[in-house]
Amino acid sequence: MTSSQPEAESAEEAGAAEEVEAPHPLAEYAESVASAVGGEGVVTFDTVKVTVPADQWVETLTTARDELGLVMLSFVSAIDWSNQPAVGEALEEELEEETFELLATVADLTEGRRVTFSTRIPHEEAVIDSLVEVYAGANWHEREAHEMFGIVFTGHPDLSHLYLPDGFLGNPLLKSFPLLSREVKPWPGTVDVEAMPEDDDDESEAESEGDGDEAAPADEAEPEEATDDEADDEEGS
Amino acid sequence: MTLDQESVRHLSEVSVSVELETPEMTLNIGPQHPSTHGVLRLMARVDGERTYDVRPVIGYMHRGYEKLAEVRTYPQITTIVNRIDWVSGYANEVPFMTAAEKLMEIEVPERALWIRTILTEMARISSHLVFMASYPLELGAATPLFFALRERERVLDLLESVTGGRFHPNFNRIGGVKPAYGSGSSTRKMIQDLPASFFAETKLAMENVLEACEQLEDLVAGNEIILARTRGVGVLPPEVAAAYGVTGPNLRASGVAFDLRKVEDYLPYDQFDFDVVTGENGDCWDRWYVRLQEIRQSARIVSQAVDSIPSGPLQAKVPKVIKVPRGETYVRAENPKGEMGYYLVSDGGQGPYRLKIRSASFSNISILPWALEGVLIPDIIAIMGSLDFVLGDVDR
Repeated sequence: MTSSQPEAESAEEAGAAEEVEAPHPLAEYAESVASAVGGEGVVTFDTVKVTVPADQWVETLTTARDELGLVMLSFVSAIDWSNQPAVGEALEEELEEETFELLATVADLTEGRRVTFSTRIPHEEAVIDSLVEVYAGANWHEREAHEMFGIVFTGHPDLSHLYLPDGFLGNPLLKSFPLLSREVKPWPGTVDVEAMPEDDDDESEAESEGDGDEAAPADEAEPEEATDDEADDEEGS
Repeated sequence: MTLDQESVRHLSEVSVSVELETPEMTLNIGPQHPSTHGVLRLMARVDGERTYDVRPVIGYMHRGYEKLAEVRTYPQITTIVNRIDWVSGYANEVPFMTAAEKLMEIEVPERALWIRTILTEMARISSHLVFMASYPLELGAATPLFFALRERERVLDLLESVTGGRFHPNFNRIGGVKPAYGSGSSTRKMIQDLPASFFAETKLAMENVLEACEQLEDLVAGNEIILARTRGVGVLPPEVAAAYGVTGPNLRASGVAFDLRKVEDYLPYDQFDFDVVTGENGDCWDRWYVRLQEIRQSARIVSQAVDSIPSGPLQAKVPKVIKVPRGETYVRAENPKGEMGYYLVSDGGQGPYRLKIRSASFSNISILPWALEGVLIPDIIAIMGSLDFVLGDVDR
């Protein structure tokens, strides 16, 4: 990511680029976890992430608990990788296949190790085995993922709604689920987005600082631009 | 019938269960109940004085923050995250900022990190003081409330003097803390820092907090009724607590010496001298006592930080329009309630593609069906209160 910068502005950034070259201190641990469960391990920004096939999901987490000492369940959740967002920005690159990515982060209680296990299931057949038997705390997390994404967890004792009222239709955290308040009133109001005359210079400066591939017209059409006040606060000295 | 120790403590219960047939009934507690810290409903099957098959019903405070985060920019999300656990709003902001800074590869100035540490620990003190006030009150002792809330008000005043808000500071910025008026602009060069008297007053406030801890310990630890209602009640074995994801003081009370401040590097806690407090039995009493000791440890951290705070800028150089490069990370922090974490997925835009909020109270009370199985009805309040949850933190 640092390499996409037009030029390294300070020694700090050059240092960061070098760090990327050197193996991450957690890389070895990620490898060992990946080989223990038969998955693929990466370190993404100090987070060990191990991807496994969906049919090994329960088996993987059982190994993590029993053999790797990751006894504490942090959370189970999902990401909806979708090409049709009703709200928010679309993905930069179109996906070949729309999937749900399931995440389960588990941790130990001694050295501070934590691993995020990940697996992908297709949109059309969003079914996966439940982790309730492995981590009792997965019960509520899976109920939440069920109502928010429509993912079915086989073997779960009670997939009733957790947060949503009983008659609620739809799965709110799906990218295709519109946010009603945004439909009624775009927010922040479009008036806030108009650039102040004095901001013209700053804008071009900001773009040269940021990643160079951002498209200016898309920005203008984007209703979620920071308000001028906010942006002013964020500006570096 | 043999009388075990627990039954002896509740003589009334002994006479009832021996003499009478007790038909089963369903008991609804809440959603509006003074001991639920918000709107939590419990549905319990009751047989005599014992409860079985307790089902917590949550969601009354659900605000859909994970969805809202997808339609907001990073600076705007700060206002959302400090409303998750509103008793310690400041502590919720820090891990989110750290996650965004990690993806942007920004190095936060030391002085800003120190200020974050000071304010986070003050948020912890004020959150634990609310527990010190409310928990004895739920068990029938009103006096500790006045001692605890008096000191909390002083701490909140100091937080307010820095951030402008008692509950929702919204003080963190990506790359540091809020630059005081003018310091971030190219046209206004005046630089303000923390209020001039802040450090002196904070030191004084910490002394007062420590004194209040003594008073609270005197008041509560010597109270036979409170001891009888909390000792041996609601025992959580460490392995069960871990499987449910119970973290923070609740887990440490069960004897697990695990504190994210010691193992994660989101704030410079390695620069300060403090102990991880643990309990022995994992009962309600230990959870009270661990929190009391944590106030003392937090006061220790704040005093050290105030003495050793480095000088320098409050804010790193960041682009005017915050765009976070593509990537994902999980950052967790030791919130007053337990592990507060954000799984942040960015696609290079101005807002996250997905923000999973892992809040401590959610997992902490997911153990309630297990913890309340077969307990006496009055103990429901004792056990629930001792878990110290906030419904905003449960429902997000």
